[in-house]
Amino acid sequence: MEQIRAYFKQSATYQLLQILADQLDDFFTTFGEIAIRGLMVLKCIFAGQINLKEVIEQSARFGVSSLPITISIVSMTSIIVAMQVAGEMVKQGGGNYVGLLVAMLTVRETGIIMSGFAIISMIGSSLASEIATMKVTEQIDAIRVLGVNPIRYLFVPRVLAGTLMMPPVMIVASTFGIIGGGIASTLVSELSYKAYFSSVWSGLYIYDIKVAIAKAFTYGFVIALISCTCGYIAKGGAKGVGIATTKAVVWSFVAIVILDLIFSIAFFF
Amino acid sequence: MIKVENLVKKFDDKTVLNDISFEVKDGETLAVVGFSGSGKSTILKIICGLLEKDSGTIKTSEGDIAMVFQYSALFDSLTVHDNIIFALTERKDLRKLYSSQDLDNIVREKLKLVGLEEIEDKFPSELSGGMQKRVSFARAIVTNPKTILYDEPTAGLDPISSTLIEDYIVRLKDETHASSIVVTHQMSTIQRTADKVLMLYNGKSVFQGTPQEMCEQGNEYTKQFITASLNGPMKLLTE
Ligand SMILES: Nc1ncnc2c1ncn2[C@@H]1O[C@H](COP(=O)(O)OP(=O)(O)OP(=O)(O)O)[C@@H](O)[C@H]1O
Ligand SMILES: [Mg+2]
Repeated sequence: MEQIRAYFKQSATYQLLQILADQLDDFFTTFGEIAIRGLMVLKCIFAGQINLKEVIEQSARFGVSSLPITISIVSMTSIIVAMQVAGEMVKQGGGNYVGLLVAMLTVRETGIIMSGFAIISMIGSSLASEIATMKVTEQIDAIRVLGVNPIRYLFVPRVLAGTLMMPPVMIVASTFGIIGGGIASTLVSELSYKAYFSSVWSGLYIYDIKVAIAKAFTYGFVIALISCTCGYIAKGGAKGVGIATTKAVVWSFVAIVILDLIFSIAFFF
Repeated sequence: MIKVENLVKKFDDKTVLNDISFEVKDGETLAVVGFSGSGKSTILKIICGLLEKDSGTIKTSEGDIAMVFQYSALFDSLTVHDNIIFALTERKDLRKLYSSQDLDNIVREKLKLVGLEEIEDKFPSELSGGMQKRVSFARAIVTNPKTILYDEPTAGLDPISSTLIEDYIVRLKDETHASSIVVTHQMSTIQRTADKVLMLYNGKSVFQGTPQEMCEQGNEYTKQFITASLNGPMKLLTE
């Protein structure tokens, strides 16, 4: 029996299972950590433990420094969509719907999800590596020994900033997206600006905009929370910082895609 | 007062601290010595609450516990000034007790104590390792702690800066009557600061006594430590 067990432990199947088990374990641990930190952050926020100066500093990071990239990515997406469809739609007699299509697509989907991707890759990754570095160089231990709550000091301003800045970023980027789509449409087809923009108005629903803003708040919260948590649970040295950063990006991407699906089912069906 | 009884700490299956007991009275300093990896930092981290113990009891006096970290652990996004006053500006019970004038004075005073001046506006990355260590010292003692834990406070310092820090450890203890633990590899630090010595090997306590006893009688372990010999009961490579 012992021999069989020893043999089994060396086999590829066992090792594969082992890796799978480790990954599953890591998944549930990370998920739990994120959930717990989320509750702690909310508790601090509702208790009013907020450092306004820090929130403003972090907001500048989320809002201002990310804006050029967010605007470019969202506009490019709308421009590409407009270029792909405008010519054909005009030819088929649907020119009046180009603006509507671009506007609906941007407001409902690409504006927020592309802003989310941009924020994850720019801000989420930098939050995670910043906090992970603090963790592996014992700076977070130092915060704790000095009697300061690291959740209040590190998480709350970052998560609040993420939550509050995501909607304005998304609105600005989407506006640029819709305008960019118009410019592209008029360049690749016979469509006039006037025709494009009048159909944009018919495609903008207040309801859609409200849902988009709700999404933006949620994604901003989730991205900042996941990034901070992945940094916070980092272990080891420089390698640990790298792992934490990758984890933050992957988890954030997957989380907002799943949330997007949930939002779509909940609000548009 | 720090009272540790039957402390056990395991990481996974590895027992890092095995039944450690000692007591440090008010106004006393205990030096903890031992090989790299013998669990010295772990003891300090358990006492200040950063790590959970597996079993045993720990009692400390009421009041703050301060820790000077082995690798300084200064906040690299904050200036020296903001590092030192961190607890005073961020802690709920201390915030708003000090005006910015007070804080400036505290920073200047604490820096002077550790032999530094006019570096308030520098960032930690602009300082040498030894200067960082001294700033972290200043940061730790800003709340007038009753228990002070030093993790290799003089490692990496030149002999004169070491003496300055050692003198300061003694002075602080005399003034505040705090209990301190100093983890160190240097005999000079033991001689100058410690009332008692605890020596660890493989997670076990192999010597407890005064520095004098350590030098004069001691045992196989302390002899090997003092003579820095490769021959003796302690082996660097353990299986
Ligand atoms: N978080 C951890 N997880 C797993 N093992 C750990 C952890 N921290 C420390 N150890 C292990 O515990 C043992 C004691 O570590 P500790 O840092 O206390 O040693 P030390 O005596 O301070 O050494 P040094 O003189 O090098 O600072 C080491 O073998 C180390 O590998
Ligand atoms: Mg150590």
